[in-house]
Amino acid sequence: MIAFDQHAKRPEFINVRVKRQDGPGKEPYWQLFKIPYEPELNVITVLQRIAALGKDADGNKSFPVCWDCGCLEEVCGACTMVINGRVRQSCSALVDRLMEDNPDELVLEPMSKFPVIRDLMVDRSRLFRGLKRVKAWVPVDSYYDMGRGERQLREMQERNYPLSQCMSCGCCVEACPQYTKIELEQKPGESDEAFDARKNDAFDKAFVGPHAISQAMLFNNHPTGKALEGERLDALTAPGGIQACGNAQNCVAVCPKEIPLTTSIARAGRATTLHTIRKWFEK
Amino acid sequence: MSDSPSETKVSFFEKHEFAIRRIHSLLGIVPLGLYMVVHLTTNASLLNGVETFQRAVFMIHSPGKLLPLIEWAFIFAPLLFHAILGVWIAKTGRTNSGQYRFASNKRYSWQRWTGMIGLVYLFLHIMHLHGGFHAQWWINSINGIGFGMFSPYNAGSSLVRAMDWGWGVVWPTIYLVGMLSLVYHLANGLWTAGITWGLWISPAAQARATKVCVAFGIVLTVISLSAWAGAVIPGEEDAQAMEAIENRMYEAGVEAGMVPENEEKRAHHSATDVEAGEEAVSDTEATAMTEFVPAS
Repeated sequence: MIAFDQHAKRPEFINVRVKRQDGPGKEPYWQLFKIPYEPELNVITVLQRIAALGKDADGNKSFPVCWDCGCLEEVCGACTMVINGRVRQSCSALVDRLMEDNPDELVLEPMSKFPVIRDLMVDRSRLFRGLKRVKAWVPVDSYYDMGRGERQLREMQERNYPLSQCMSCGCCVEACPQYTKIELEQKPGESDEAFDARKNDAFDKAFVGPHAISQAMLFNNHPTGKALEGERLDALTAPGGIQACGNAQNCVAVCPKEIPLTTSIARAGRATTLHTIRKWFEK
Repeated sequence: MSDSPSETKVSFFEKHEFAIRRIHSLLGIVPLGLYMVVHLTTNASLLNGVETFQRAVFMIHSPGKLLPLIEWAFIFAPLLFHAILGVWIAKTGRTNSGQYRFASNKRYSWQRWTGMIGLVYLFLHIMHLHGGFHAQWWINSINGIGFGMFSPYNAGSSLVRAMDWGWGVVWPTIYLVGMLSLVYHLANGLWTAGITWGLWISPAAQARATKVCVAFGIVLTVISLSAWAGAVIPGEEDAQAMEAIENRMYEAGVEAGMVPENEEKRAHHSATDVEAGEEAVSDTEATAMTEFVPAS
């Protein structure tokens, strides 16, 4: 139910509790804000009102809360955060709906699986590193006309389309009990390149995540993408691959795009089983 | 996570993590899960009668000197592998079923908790009844603290007496909690293994598999409760009657050449004060038989 109920009783104020952090590696702290109630707010507008207000509930001057956003229509994934204990996009989180569940306050936290840059803004680079690990792309590396592509059967289109809706928002990995936070600190005198290499090294040994497994299955089922099938399955059986999945199935439950992530995971389970047996006998 | 930039090498474990975890998954079903079903069913047969249970135990012990090898290869070694890797796996995750209260997430948490409970329970269970090693000096020394209490050739009676220890409450409680934890662990593990290996893929198939695994879990619960009841309900008087039957079966079995003669596998409870250990080592004749006059 999205429609606004005209007759419902409305509070005068909205209490917003925000978990803030001044920078990477700094101690997080809670701050309470109080904004006048308006109908049909989403969490993004709440954060804009807080910025306009410039002070917390006690009247102390405060810096605007930092957050990330892009499309404002739940297709870019940038504004993902933990709202009232559950990970979701703040653009599509409607305050009137949230207050039905918890009329006292709105609790905003940054995602817990990524390093905080500031306040509600996190560094999601590990998410994208996961996509690189499984080569989540179609290998087309020339400008020549290769002619018509292979015909895609309707059944294949219907299997692939839901998977193609992934916006790399990070909800699935945030809710996943097997995906744990990796936060490294740049050492004094360490170049950015060396730091990145060290980070990628750490990311590459850790769980790749449901989103990447699902994208691997999408491109393995693509007429051109399947050229890299073996490499993707190698990546999924490497350290931190499919075997790290614990089948808690939170990913599919929190996915805002309702992508059948656990179906992809089971499919990847079967593909890696067969791939490993094949390699065992052929190599 | 190490901070050293030189850490680009991949350890043996990391390199073979996929295969190692698939082996962990497989061992949980075969031999461990299969063994658990056979074990519980054998014990539940005690409800049918002392003879049924004792016959089964005679058959299990028929490999004689090979038995420790079979135990280690098919039970203890896989169990240690499954347990050690299982603890490591549990440590790689952070349960969050308090925050995300989905049924499957609770099952994930319970799989880890029951694994830990099961590990402690199995250690206690093996020490309590089996003793871990067959060496008589070892069994004699742990008998003093109430461990190694099971005598395979007096299967029913020694089991009943072992469960009576601790006012008949402590062990039965430990066994009930431990067994039910492991039944859950096996039934749920079967379901997740089906996803891990890629057996059931679609949500509909997984829902069907859930029904099958729940049915399996219920049947195994009934079997395990039967096994539990068979060991817990009889009292000392029943144990004496059981022992008489077992002794008759042993003597007849040895006579017929169906049961390998082995005094160490018999109950020596009445002989502890006459140093059963020494006797068992020195005595090659059947004189020890005199100790086993049925108590009726």
